[in-house]
Amino acid sequence: MNTDAVTRRKFLTAAGAAGVAFIAADPALVQAALNHAREAAGLALPPRFESLTPDQAAGLNAVAMRIFPSDGTPGAKEAGVIHFIDKSLATWASGMKEVLLPGLKDLDTRAGGAFAAQTAAKQDELLKAVEQTPFFGTMRFATIVGMFANSSWGGNAGQVGWKLLGFQAHGVFQPPFGYYDAEVAKGG
Amino acid sequence: MQARPMRKYPLSTEVDFVIVGSGAAGGVMAKELSTRGHSVVVLEAGPRLLPSQFKHDEFDYWFQGGIGNPHPVTWRQTEAEEAQAGQGNIFRAMLVGGSSVHFTANFWRLHPIDFRERSMFGAIPGADLVDWPITYEELEPYYTKVDWEVGVSGAPGPFDPPRSRPFPMPPLPVKSSGVLFERGARKLGMHPHPAPMAILSKPHNGRNACQHCGYCMAFGCEYGAKSSSLASVIPVAEATGRCEVRPDSYVSRVVSNPQGRVTGVSYFDKQKREQFQPAKAVVLCANGAETPKLLLMSELANSSGYVGKHLMFNGNTGVSGVFEHPLNEYKSVQVTRIVHDFYDSDPKRGFYGGGGMDGRFQNFPILWGLGGLPQDGPQWGSEYKRLLGEYFNRTMMVAGHTTSLPVAGNSVTLDPKVKDSFGLPALRITYKDHADDIKIMQFMVDRSKDILDAAGAQKTWGNPVGVSGGTAHLLGTCRMGNDPQTSVINIDHRTHDVPNLFICDGSSMVTSGRGQPTMTIVALAFRAGERISALAKAGAI
Repeated sequence: MNTDAVTRRKFLTAAGAAGVAFIAADPALVQAALNHAREAAGLALPPRFESLTPDQAAGLNAVAMRIFPSDGTPGAKEAGVIHFIDKSLATWASGMKEVLLPGLKDLDTRAGGAFAAQTAAKQDELLKAVEQTPFFGTMRFATIVGMFANSSWGGNAGQVGWKLLGFQAHGVFQPPFGYYDAEVAKGG
Repeated sequence: MQARPMRKYPLSTEVDFVIVGSGAAGGVMAKELSTRGHSVVVLEAGPRLLPSQFKHDEFDYWFQGGIGNPHPVTWRQTEAEEAQAGQGNIFRAMLVGGSSVHFTANFWRLHPIDFRERSMFGAIPGADLVDWPITYEELEPYYTKVDWEVGVSGAPGPFDPPRSRPFPMPPLPVKSSGVLFERGARKLGMHPHPAPMAILSKPHNGRNACQHCGYCMAFGCEYGAKSSSLASVIPVAEATGRCEVRPDSYVSRVVSNPQGRVTGVSYFDKQKREQFQPAKAVVLCANGAETPKLLLMSELANSSGYVGKHLMFNGNTGVSGVFEHPLNEYKSVQVTRIVHDFYDSDPKRGFYGGGGMDGRFQNFPILWGLGGLPQDGPQWGSEYKRLLGEYFNRTMMVAGHTTSLPVAGNSVTLDPKVKDSFGLPALRITYKDHADDIKIMQFMVDRSKDILDAAGAQKTWGNPVGVSGGTAHLLGTCRMGNDPQTSVINIDHRTHDVPNLFICDGSSMVTSGRGQPTMTIVALAFRAGERISALAKAGAI
């Protein structure tokens, strides 16, 4: 477990102070979130938002879509990151609303209208100005988790996040595993 | 694979031994004592999970507590500060099998020098370095027991200490990280060799071999191939019919009588009711943080004032490198090759310390997204997303694992304010690395970068070395020694103060080794179990 410290430290740095609150959730609430996600996954209709209003969802989705744009390969939109965020806010991360909603309001104010209605270039400019805020740190953290966590948490729809990386979560493998060990196995 | 508990003792039964903790040390202790005919109850704070209940779920296991210990930890660097939650953390699993369930399974033996560096180098300013009261030679037979009974795969390296028997299994198949690490290290004149891992490369003792799923670090092995106490020795203990492993039992106090002997332990059961388990003797194997915490709460075995002191973490470093072709490092075990060329402390470097390096998988996807890329590059947006995808399977990490000096001010104490959900004091960590610990970490960062460059990395990056803010290694807090004034336990693992109270876990270690302590903790438990049983049979407890 030696790299735990390294990776955790990296994570703490990367997540920003607000993101840390995501870690400290109650296990019972986590279970509730998982159950909730499973139920939602079983619904034929597109999941409705449990926690966010349509405008709030549109705004946060727009932010997530600039963090992971849909630029030829699937991004936050296709992964359903906003559904991960909504479910998290509805269950184990309800406290994060206090960071996300005022932050979104601030973005709208800076935009002089709905952030979601701005051009991508304008959105990027607005986000650069708030890069160091707890709001952006939390959104970045939530978007990354929504891209790369198991789909049971509500995001990573169709495993598009893992496909982006070329990661397989549930395989058993046999050597050779990669190019360089294959080369050695061939006597190269 | 999974033996259910064969024996249940009524609470009214005074057993020969109650063992607190079922991890790397506690599991072996249970096996050694029960197979020698003693009645044993193991109290484990966490639940009992079947291997099939382990999940491949990074968000749960790395971020939401998963199989971890949920109790609060407060943190500060020096005694002058007020400790705060969230400033740092210690990572330990809380379930039957303890942290041996979720560890990465690097399994290095100590070297003879680890036991006698004080004699070799003399006093080191700002530290409290002492020799162990035992030697490598005394521990060697128990390391060999671990190899065979617990299950270790590997092959001898050029700097390895003598071993009395070969590894029971060959090394796990080399990964691309191992090939590149070896290539770079050899170019630089180093001597890389296969990593000893507590993961089965072949079926052994009725257990499965590794299936190379990749979920080792922070995860439980659903195949039973990782040599946790849960997979290896606990089933043997339970099969004796003399050992009960009691999960969901959180010990709050070791109870003593006016004669200065312990009579058993109080604990909270699953319903948070307080229970008392009487025993003729108590063995604490709760880890290097929980064991001193329990002693401090019980006000026992601390006439030296050394309980909780000299906490050592091991330094750790990471440098990443991206290569031309896919490595697919998420497959199989985390580490396959290591270097021990810098194991010994070398006065020519100008500071105390040594360590090892390994080539390994860097990060699972969420951690990769959060902090995997070079910090000087984009952290969101199209270019960030493109690099995440392009680098993920072409990146590896060289990790460094180094000495921590024993410093009296680095400690585990009871937080005076923060309580856990049972009303018990939170663990308070006070920790600031000795200046030499920082220097050896920087040395390893530089060597790691050299190796990656020599292996042909297109780009390398890493975090700057800083004061430790988290660890899974909890060592030295009830150190072993011959002098009751400067140590907590003797060479039999008996506390100097209480004749029927024993301790064996990371807290027993006198020096930190070079970063992979679990093998030594398990070997100490084999040795301690044998000696404690002999004392019991001689009527000497």
